[in-house]
Amino acid sequence: MDARLRRVNKEIADCKNDKTSNIKIELIDESPFHLKGSFPGPEGTPYEGGHFEVDIVIPDSYPFQPVKMKFITKVYHPNVSSASGAICLDILKDAWSPVLTLKSTLISLQSLLCSPEPNDPQDAEVAKHYTTSKNSFDDTAIYWTQIYAGGPGPKKKGKASVVQESSRDEIAIAGLERAHVEQFEALGFEKSKVVR
Amino acid sequence: MSSDYEISDDDESYYYDDEDMMDGTQDDEEDIDMADFGDDFRVAPKSKRKSYELDYDSLTQKAVEQLMESDVDYICGIFGVETSTAALLLRHMSWNKERLIELYMDNPSKILVAAGVTVEEPSAQGAAIRSHSSTSSGRRPTRSASKLLGMGSGSKSPKPTHNLALTKAPKPPKPIPFVCPICYDDSPDLRQLSLDCEHCFCSGCWTAYVGSKINDEAEHDIRCMAEGCTLATPDTFVRAILMSPTVDHEEQAANAATWARFQELLVRHFVASNPNLKYCPYPSCTNTVSCPSASSKASLTTIVPVVSCGARGIAGSSQGSSLGSKEHKFCFGCAIESDHRPVVCGVAKLWLKKCRDDSETANWIKSNTKECPKCMSTIEKNGGCNHMTCKKCKHDFCWVCMGPWSEHGTSWYSCNRYDEKGGSDARDAQSRSRASLERYLHYYNRWANHEQSAKLSVELYAKTEKKMEDMQITSSLTWIEVQFMKKAVEEVEKCRTTLKWTYAMAYYLAKGNEKELFEDNQRDLERAVEDLSELLESPIEAENIPTMRQQVTDKTVYVQNRNEIVLADTAAGFVEGRWKWDVQVEGFDAPEGPDY
Repeated sequence: MDARLRRVNKEIADCKNDKTSNIKIELIDESPFHLKGSFPGPEGTPYEGGHFEVDIVIPDSYPFQPVKMKFITKVYHPNVSSASGAICLDILKDAWSPVLTLKSTLISLQSLLCSPEPNDPQDAEVAKHYTTSKNSFDDTAIYWTQIYAGGPGPKKKGKASVVQESSRDEIAIAGLERAHVEQFEALGFEKSKVVR
Repeated sequence: MSSDYEISDDDESYYYDDEDMMDGTQDDEEDIDMADFGDDFRVAPKSKRKSYELDYDSLTQKAVEQLMESDVDYICGIFGVETSTAALLLRHMSWNKERLIELYMDNPSKILVAAGVTVEEPSAQGAAIRSHSSTSSGRRPTRSASKLLGMGSGSKSPKPTHNLALTKAPKPPKPIPFVCPICYDDSPDLRQLSLDCEHCFCSGCWTAYVGSKINDEAEHDIRCMAEGCTLATPDTFVRAILMSPTVDHEEQAANAATWARFQELLVRHFVASNPNLKYCPYPSCTNTVSCPSASSKASLTTIVPVVSCGARGIAGSSQGSSLGSKEHKFCFGCAIESDHRPVVCGVAKLWLKKCRDDSETANWIKSNTKECPKCMSTIEKNGGCNHMTCKKCKHDFCWVCMGPWSEHGTSWYSCNRYDEKGGSDARDAQSRSRASLERYLHYYNRWANHEQSAKLSVELYAKTEKKMEDMQITSSLTWIEVQFMKKAVEEVEKCRTTLKWTYAMAYYLAKGNEKELFEDNQRDLERAVEDLSELLESPIEAENIPTMRQQVTDKTVYVQNRNEIVLADTAAGFVEGRWKWDVQVEGFDAPEGPDY
């Protein structure tokens, strides 16, 4: 569809010209309908300092049907699947409007990181963690931001101490069950690989 | 063959005796007495309903559209609004006129906004200002995305052009020259379209959007394309978009198809909103059946609302086969395929569930097997003496008392501990379970047999057609005169369906005189059907065609009447509350204590 191609090209060009929003859209391969978007983690959140990448697939009926997005970067967030990166957001589903653009949708994702919706979760385990113990959740989210999104890590500690400490509670902080990890270790996998 | 004929004579006399007892069928009887066999079958006129049938109407899509129009006109007359506005309001309220009038009288602007007729802005009406703040925050979910994107729209300015700019259209917000905010096309000959909210988009985008909503999402409620705008597109607008002439003929045809689909979606929505109406479940059939007497759940305990939309056949399947010309028959009250008369929906559902459940398999294992006392393997004893040797662990034990065989000492082959201790209780429990299983299997086997036979009647029909052709060649009979075969096959199929469900009914009927009468009727029908089936399978020879024809016609009429007796009597029983169940059935009284 000619109009679709024109629109997507325009959207990519507009995003390039706009230096203020810090939103980037790049081609993954030759096709303009499979893209990679990225944005910095919002300030004042556990995601601050991280660089988050999003896989973007433009359907045939775009912009009349919503664009398909999922996180490439692993994110510890109640509305994002910690395994697949799938995102639970209304504008990606029934609240989609054809006037929304790739950029505005990515901005929405950025703001989703600011304000999680644990009552309508994508990842039930993470949402439970969020509602029961917010501090511990923040620690894990910061840790994930550090290892997966290149974030600065916990603020008050030096990087060296974090590395040392991480071997102690990396299982808990990765949001995994100790029993599961031990099960895999028994099968001969290295602990660090299992946790990752 | 000759023996068949005699049985049929017996049946005949039995049938006449019986007939006197039945109410409501006496009118029919006279017809049969006078029925001249050369005249083929007495076909009841379509308008005459039998006692076990109920009133229903089949409506075409056009007819349903007229119903919708009359509702819309009614609302137009009361509210003094445009047709398209009334239609949007009614759809929003799921066609509940009374509730709509109530809400509209209470607060017209609120409901107009909710239905997407107007946006909440001062220009609409004075009252609209009041509801402004509550509605604007109420509809959108409190999602971060909407918060962020809605930053500007939160301001009270209702100017749509302002909204347009907000939606991140990267070009200058002033729409001079016009750039469609969706496809970014800026050619000067672009046709702009907008709803009352004045969110302008080019006609191409509107067409694609409306088409995507209708064809991909099967959605008739189409809102403005602007983010967060809740204004709905009136039918006139949709029509104008889809039916405007285009250069490309292919595109025009596709748009016309989309418009037809849109109208079908509206009809489906109307039908789904009205309990008196049901859409025909057969593939690509667009008829609707209206059956007000079966609209309530309570009515389903006294009637079996089997209806037919009047159409036949399934698009795409060949018309010649019997499947291709199958009548669109379905139950108005439940989702069960075709005809489950004489039994009511509740019992039919119960029976199907029982047949589906694996519980009967477990029951069988329970009644027919025991476990090895040592290794717990399940063992079925299929003969021989009571001295069992477990094939797996080689344990020797007594099948009767389950004790080790070594303890039996010299009393081989007779367990002298048979009647002692709790062993007899265990045995009783086992035999009870076996009895209930056998009872179930009795009914199930007959049910399954009739189902199978009904399916085979498709095959039988093919054979019959061949026979009819042969008969036309080998005798002087004309086409119309060999139609008795087809009639007979159809009748057999119909009766087998009835018989099938009578077994489901009999399984749940509580013991008593009523059940015995029911089973008498069932037996008579079954015998008649089997006779007729056998006759149809018999080889045809040229010299006996006239005899054959008479026999088949004779029996077909008889079978038809037996079937009507079963259906009429059962239906009357439901109305009179004559049938008692031995289980709890939805909508019926609880079973009586001692019987259960």
